[in-house]
Amino acid sequence: MSDRDDLRHDAHNPHTHDESPVDNGELRDAAGHSIKDQSRSLPIPPTDDIIADGGRTLWGDAWYRLRKNKLAIAGLVWVIFVILVTLTADLWVKPYFGDPLAMDTTLGANLQPPSADHIMGTDKLGRDVFARVVYGARISLTVGVIAVAISVAIGLIMGALSGYFGGFLDTLIMRGADVFLAFPYVLFAIALIAVLGPSYRNVFIAIGILGWPSIARVFRSSILSVKENEYIDAAKAMGAGHLRMIFRHIMPNAVAPIIVYGTMSIGGAIITEAALSFLGMGVQPPTPSWGLMLSDARPLMVRAPWLMLWPGFAILTTVLAFVLMGDGLRDALDVKMKD
Amino acid sequence: MSTLLEVRNLKTHFHTRDGVVKAVDGVNFNLEPGKTLAVVGESGSGKSVTALSIMRLIPKTTGVIGTDSDILFKGESVLGMDDAGVRSIRGNRIAMIFQDPMTSLNPVYRVGRQIGESLILHKGLKKKEADERAVELLDMVGIPHAGERAKDYPHQFSGGMRQRAMIAMALACDPDILIADEPTTALDVTIQAQILELMIELQERTGTAIIMITHDLGVVADMANEVMVMYAGKQIEYGTAEDVFYRPLHPYTWGLLESLPRHDVSEKGILLPITGQPPSLINVPSGCAFHPRCPYAKDVCRTQVPQLTSIEDGHSSACLFSGDPGFRRETASPSREVV
Repeated sequence: MSDRDDLRHDAHNPHTHDESPVDNGELRDAAGHSIKDQSRSLPIPPTDDIIADGGRTLWGDAWYRLRKNKLAIAGLVWVIFVILVTLTADLWVKPYFGDPLAMDTTLGANLQPPSADHIMGTDKLGRDVFARVVYGARISLTVGVIAVAISVAIGLIMGALSGYFGGFLDTLIMRGADVFLAFPYVLFAIALIAVLGPSYRNVFIAIGILGWPSIARVFRSSILSVKENEYIDAAKAMGAGHLRMIFRHIMPNAVAPIIVYGTMSIGGAIITEAALSFLGMGVQPPTPSWGLMLSDARPLMVRAPWLMLWPGFAILTTVLAFVLMGDGLRDALDVKMKD
Repeated sequence: MSTLLEVRNLKTHFHTRDGVVKAVDGVNFNLEPGKTLAVVGESGSGKSVTALSIMRLIPKTTGVIGTDSDILFKGESVLGMDDAGVRSIRGNRIAMIFQDPMTSLNPVYRVGRQIGESLILHKGLKKKEADERAVELLDMVGIPHAGERAKDYPHQFSGGMRQRAMIAMALACDPDILIADEPTTALDVTIQAQILELMIELQERTGTAIIMITHDLGVVADMANEVMVMYAGKQIEYGTAEDVFYRPLHPYTWGLLESLPRHDVSEKGILLPITGQPPSLINVPSGCAFHPRCPYAKDVCRTQVPQLTSIEDGHSSACLFSGDPGFRRETASPSREVV
């Protein structure tokens, strides 16, 4: 028997040692703690809670809590549905419903109400509205995701520098963020696009650049609160350098609000894209975009109300889905709610 | 025996809006290999700041260590090292355990992974080797089913187990010095006893020197070779545990010992608290900092600052009257040993 085994024998409540070697975790919390003197032993009774906790991971935990939130799951299902429809659109929308760009100039082919041929009707150029809504989702989702990815990338770096190092750097970055936030959002976006030129790519660049200050602020405050924890001091006392501190110890604990905020921001970015396209500053015709479709439908509101109904419905549901998802993630990722 | 750690005239001051807080003001001590030094005092007496100064964990923005201060680890000045040098010592040669085990473990990593981290960092171990070593360490600190438990997350551990895990983490690299900052304060009394016994046992095995920071004199009596009593950032008494407990010199130490509940005194024995509040560290009372609360204070105490002077061999006190043979008190040991 090695030295350690001797120690163990000495250190443990003797019955720990003789305990059945069941390793499924059921008994371990009942095991005595190290004590020489048995009279002082306080066996901790096993609780169902701890046993049920057995093999779960942190993300497993979050998923478990998210699953219980019906609204969040509804949002998730809708987002996945929209993504699947968009990804597979070339396979079934184009052949069976029509090309979103194919105009039909035959007399009476335009502004048709919904029918078996065109389930959402046709627009003023005789294009199938359903096909345009489906392909518009591509634009909206791409803009939403890429724009938020840009915001998050800039925001995370800025927020991390600001929150972790503090001092002058913090002041510099945060005052910079304030300057960005001081401008009216849409106006700033329009101004940026006026400089860059209206195009699909410039829309997400503009939205992405404008989004970073909020992300940086959220991340900074999250880092500041994480920094107060003793495990951060412990990591420092362990000899961790700045990079290890930021990326291994602080970020994983501080990133949850960003996941939540980022998810909700995708919804916001979709709305901004629609607004910019509506104003003619975004995606240019004939590319199908929900905002552009709304804009086209506006003068025909009375004659063909379905034209604005479909893209409006698409924007509403998709944005709502992202917001509900974000809301659910907030509850699911909150470590403090862990029981 | 060569001196492991020498602290020379340590002065750590914090510059705040209200003035300069002299958290530590001229502390000297030596630590020999394998020995235990207890640092005792009320909240705000500078115990923790002393420890953090040794680890160089004082925030640079507000905290200033005096230019004539020095901390020598194996003869090398810790204060003079660059960041990389300090990091190579932290967690490797000098490790630290924090007060609250509930918050000292990073919630997003498995316990085993956290224990192994310093091995990866300092000893260049591979992840897998570090994981294996972490299991051995958990086993060493008396966690039953260590192999299984290493895969758990901190929230699946009880408070006592987390403190064991913290000890395992601190001892991972087999450090020369273990600084324990009130390691038992946040724990139940029964668990406290277990943790202390564990530390004593591990010290016997590994030969690590321990700096035990505590306000619990019972803890000190069980473990310490030498005791340093601090008040308002200054050392007021220093000596072997035996001397300080049985032949205390300073009236403050008398007060500490008399305010301790005792199991060998009848129930009617009245606890004598030290009246008043610990002084503000910005406006430290003139003369002896303890004079406003000292029942023996004379006029001279208001004006003359007592220096730490050696009264007997290896036993010194910072009281103007300590040299007076009549100014003595005998006390019984405040050991927490339950009979």
